[in-house]
Amino acid sequence: MKNFILGCFLFCLASQAIAEIAVITNVQNNQVPLTRLQVQDIFMGRMRAFPNGQFATTYDQTTLRDDFYQQLTQRPIAQINAYWARLMFSGQTSPPIKLTDDQSVIKAIQENIGAIGYINKKNASHQAIRILFILK
Amino acid sequence: MQQYLTPLIKKAILYPFISCFLCLVHTVQASEWSIKGFGSLSIVGTDTNAIGFYRDRSQTKSVTNAWGIAPDSRFGLQLDVNFNETLQMTTQWIARNHAGDFFEQNLELAFMRWHASNSLNIRAGRMGTDVFLASDYRNISYAYPWMRPPHEFYGTIPVYHYDGIDLIKRYAIYNGYLTAKIFAGFSSNQLISNPGNKLFDFNAPIVGGNLTYEHRYWRTKLSYVFVHPVTDTPGFDAGSKILNNTLVNLALPGINKLTPYLTTKNTNMHFISLGGAYDNGVWLAQAEAAYLHSDSPLFPAQTSAYLSIGRRFDTITLYTLLGIAHSFANYIDVPEARLPNPEFQQIHELVDTFINQNGINEQSISLGVRWDVYTNIAIKAQWSHFWIGKNGAQLWQKFGTTPTPNKVNVWSFGFDFIF
Repeated sequence: MKNFILGCFLFCLASQAIAEIAVITNVQNNQVPLTRLQVQDIFMGRMRAFPNGQFATTYDQTTLRDDFYQQLTQRPIAQINAYWARLMFSGQTSPPIKLTDDQSVIKAIQENIGAIGYINKKNASHQAIRILFILK
Repeated sequence: MQQYLTPLIKKAILYPFISCFLCLVHTVQASEWSIKGFGSLSIVGTDTNAIGFYRDRSQTKSVTNAWGIAPDSRFGLQLDVNFNETLQMTTQWIARNHAGDFFEQNLELAFMRWHASNSLNIRAGRMGTDVFLASDYRNISYAYPWMRPPHEFYGTIPVYHYDGIDLIKRYAIYNGYLTAKIFAGFSSNQLISNPGNKLFDFNAPIVGGNLTYEHRYWRTKLSYVFVHPVTDTPGFDAGSKILNNTLVNLALPGINKLTPYLTTKNTNMHFISLGGAYDNGVWLAQAEAAYLHSDSPLFPAQTSAYLSIGRRFDTITLYTLLGIAHSFANYIDVPEARLPNPEFQQIHELVDTFINQNGINEQSISLGVRWDVYTNIAIKAQWSHFWIGKNGAQLWQKFGTTPTPNKVNVWSFGFDFIF
């Protein structure tokens, strides 16, 4: 019984640690929801625009960055950093702009029609933003 | 003519870029620029003092059994400025061991980029020479598993940057992306002659193009580059005078006919390569093959290839690397001295060394480990064993007439980071 309670406790902790992440854009951007592959292409610098043609400005955030890329690409952040080092320092393209947390991402999204970022899904409700994809 | 051409290129491309940058940066808001950097601190040593190990002829210092940090250590800073959604500027300067002007030769990137459309980029200014799969990020050791790009392959292209323009167009094809790139410009690199170890300007128009296809774990690249050097090799004028001297031609009949072989000026070099990389997050592999066609005996035609396979175990990556390079140098007969005069004999030996000792005949196996100790820091160690054939040490620094060993071990330890 003691082990069962401990197991439930650890499960709850793990569930809380791996948050659902919402990929969001400006509410005026008429882009329909994206596929996982499209989100990957945009955040890995392979696609510079939304499928609807709108130029995409990508935003990272330090709070969720590790979890976001782990869930999106199944790779640890060190591999993502090495990938971006290749693209960035060879002058091919620039990585997403780094912000700090959900609130700074929401603010940037609301100010730019072409902005795309990610936040904790629980902070996505009641906001003037459009959800494009949920990472589970 | 040539001494005027390089400053002209700099005036025509680099200086307008810098002026344009200074004007534009004045209008930029604080939130639209960023400074990033990378670096490596590495120590390298071999088991011989007969020849020196370096990355390529852009470097002035090699290492022997007296260990050193010159081949792989570097520190780079990059300034990116976004003027708006479509116009960006990138400048990168690297502190490293490079021949010639310390500021100008280490200015690796200085270009403006215009996103003409969502799939078309146009860049103008100074850019990295994009010949092989890893050519334009050779300095970023953190971006690859090895201590340095494969010696047999990347040692043959000491030209790191050129001033010019490129057009990059991307196409979405079968859930992947095809990138087509064409570029043209002028390379003004300063290198070290081998043999001789003398600084010289390697100025050349350079044009090329490549196709890169990326799909999930795969990246393949087909590339062609044409280079036409317009500068002489060091000591050409003095050597030419000696070879065309009447008395010398009496002692060494017909040696004046070898004059054109003393320079790479106005020769043609064609680089053709095919490469592929695979990385599924656990396994990583990379292979490339290249052929260089050249009509200069100082830079003979050559072929090279490598294969690397690695396996990640959490933060540890183990890898092996096999490389091979071989040149097709045709031996050119140098007339023997008719007179028993040591000066004529010395001329014979110098000319023979200069035009017949440029061969590459090298193979290697490497074993290495990379440990990602933090999300932006990696520690590496690598052992490489080289087999060097007769007249095959052109990718190594030679010291006078010291005989070349046929086997060399190279040990390297490094610390890479980005920020």
